[in-house]
Amino acid sequence: MKKLTLMLLVLLVMGTVLFAQEITGLQVIENVYSRPTGNDQTADLTMTLENSRGDQRVRIIKQFVKDFGEMEKKIMFFVSPADVHNTAFMNWSYSADGKNDDQWIYLPALKRVKRISSDTKSDYFMGSDFTYDDLGDRQPNADSHTILREEELDGEMCFVVESIPNEEEQMYSKTISWVVKDKWIGKKKEFYDEDEDLLKILTVKEVENIKDYLVITISEMHNVQKDHTTKMELKNVKVNTGISDNKFTERMMKRGM
Amino acid sequence: MRKIILLVVILSFAFMLNAQLEQRGFVRTHVGALIEDGGYSVLQNTFDWRLDYGKGDVELYVNPVFNYDGLNENLELNLRQAYFDIYFDNFDLRVGKQQIIWGKADGVFITDVISPRDISEFILPDFDEIRIGINAVKLDYYLGNSTLEAVWIPIFQPTIIPDANSIWFPEMPDIFTQSIVEDAKEPEKKLSESELAIKYSYLGSAIDFELMAAYMWDDNPTMHIYPQQESLIIKPEYHRLPLVGASFGKSIFGAVLRGEGAYYFDKKFMVEDFSVNGVKEKDYAHYLVGYDHNLFGVNVSFQFIQEYILGYENDFKNDEFSNTATFLASKTFLRETLQFDIFGYYGVNNNDALLRPKISYDFIDGFNVLLGANIFIGDEGNFGQYNENEMLYMKLKYDF
Repeated sequence: MKKLTLMLLVLLVMGTVLFAQEITGLQVIENVYSRPTGNDQTADLTMTLENSRGDQRVRIIKQFVKDFGEMEKKIMFFVSPADVHNTAFMNWSYSADGKNDDQWIYLPALKRVKRISSDTKSDYFMGSDFTYDDLGDRQPNADSHTILREEELDGEMCFVVESIPNEEEQMYSKTISWVVKDKWIGKKKEFYDEDEDLLKILTVKEVENIKDYLVITISEMHNVQKDHTTKMELKNVKVNTGISDNKFTERMMKRGM
Repeated sequence: MRKIILLVVILSFAFMLNAQLEQRGFVRTHVGALIEDGGYSVLQNTFDWRLDYGKGDVELYVNPVFNYDGLNENLELNLRQAYFDIYFDNFDLRVGKQQIIWGKADGVFITDVISPRDISEFILPDFDEIRIGINAVKLDYYLGNSTLEAVWIPIFQPTIIPDANSIWFPEMPDIFTQSIVEDAKEPEKKLSESELAIKYSYLGSAIDFELMAAYMWDDNPTMHIYPQQESLIIKPEYHRLPLVGASFGKSIFGAVLRGEGAYYFDKKFMVEDFSVNGVKEKDYAHYLVGYDHNLFGVNVSFQFIQEYILGYENDFKNDEFSNTATFLASKTFLRETLQFDIFGYYGVNNNDALLRPKISYDFIDGFNVLLGANIFIGDEGNFGQYNENEMLYMKLKYDF
């Protein structure tokens, strides 16, 4: 009986220590990175670009994404504007450290699928305020993460995490993310330029629960230095519909949606 | 008139199918002037109409192009493409007039020999306008990331060359001025004279590549010279041109390395020996290596191209080795509405070049203005021969 009491005490102390142990910045970001998003997703993406004068340009894309375990494949079909209609872009990204993405583009005028340089992470996607890197899932160990504080944002408690790239010559000197506790979804993110001045603010406007997966359906990126914004809206989102592997091939890039 | 009737028939047939119609295309004004004397070199208004009708697994695509040439005051209708697509589970069939483009090279034609070219304005038009739609049956069979493509072209179509009075008519050897040049003799329109080509292609993480073989006709005629007592008779004739080739594209540290090569069997070359009617046949190799990268937001691309005549003899008009280099730099500004490009060809053998700088701006989505120049450097060679044709040009284009 004494032994049993002692064992229970030890377990209680251990449990208390473990519970009290603070979560690290890396763990927060890893939780966001590994949050389940389903095996595949289909959506209509509308990007509205607005400049400081309020002029708007709209880009519409149909996109398909599928998780293949060690690899994620994404294919995008450009719907508008008219001069890029039927252009297709395919990206294969890998979870292995240091392995660059493979990217191809199909231009209807050239009528062939062309492998393109993937060294364009810091280029802006279709003239928007999102870089290719912003749109992808950056691997957690690419940065050093520190929890700055915990605070409430729009009624939800968040970890505020500062992330500094491990490698030099990155586009951003640091980012600061607001991650909702327990949901592990980003709510806001600040991007700082090479001079450590605030460059952009990403704000998540709407999150939908689709088949028990949290999907960011409306977000907005504001370039505070140039005062222009990009609103990104996902419509007709479908998760786990069983997209065929053949969707992510040269044939489909040429054939279109 | 026949083209208009054909167009009406195709469109009526599609409407009868009660199919879904998608209309796209562009309207463009293109004005170009020679730098030397300010004379207009181009005055064109183009309406490029792309009609896509789909019903289930069958689609009809028709691309009529109306072109008004202000220099000749001539309105022309051209059916650039008109074909049916029929989709099956593992293969697709395309039947009709179509552009077929193979290979990995940019602006260079090595294994890309299926669709002939319209070089009536040299190589200056956009590449989708240089390639001629050809009547063909194309079958694509798919297996994962691999594709096997077979093409049958029942009737030969030659390269369209510039008129003799065009500023793009190429320099001819002196003997042509003292000769009688007969009309080109084209292959007969019968089954045994048709063309066949096959290609295996693979697209994957490690590499993309293509292997091809084709039993074609040389799209350019060979000039057979028959000496007479006081003159020469030149008989242009088309010849068979079998070839095999391959190409690849591979990512290396974020950049792309490309290569392409073809081996042509018994290609005909002009020689100075009239005892063989000025023609000898030799095997010929044409290949390139290319490199694409993004440096500080600028897309750059380099290609080195070599042509090699095997078993070369000293009386050949062509060089044994012909070397060409190309480069491209491209950068966008103002959220991709403003774009600077420069594309250049450099002919190593003749130290000549073509530089093509251009700047374009999207006023609104779909409405684009482009200003450009074509600068020819050198006195001879593929590019230097046109050194009096340097021009500035402007294009206004509205896509719908």
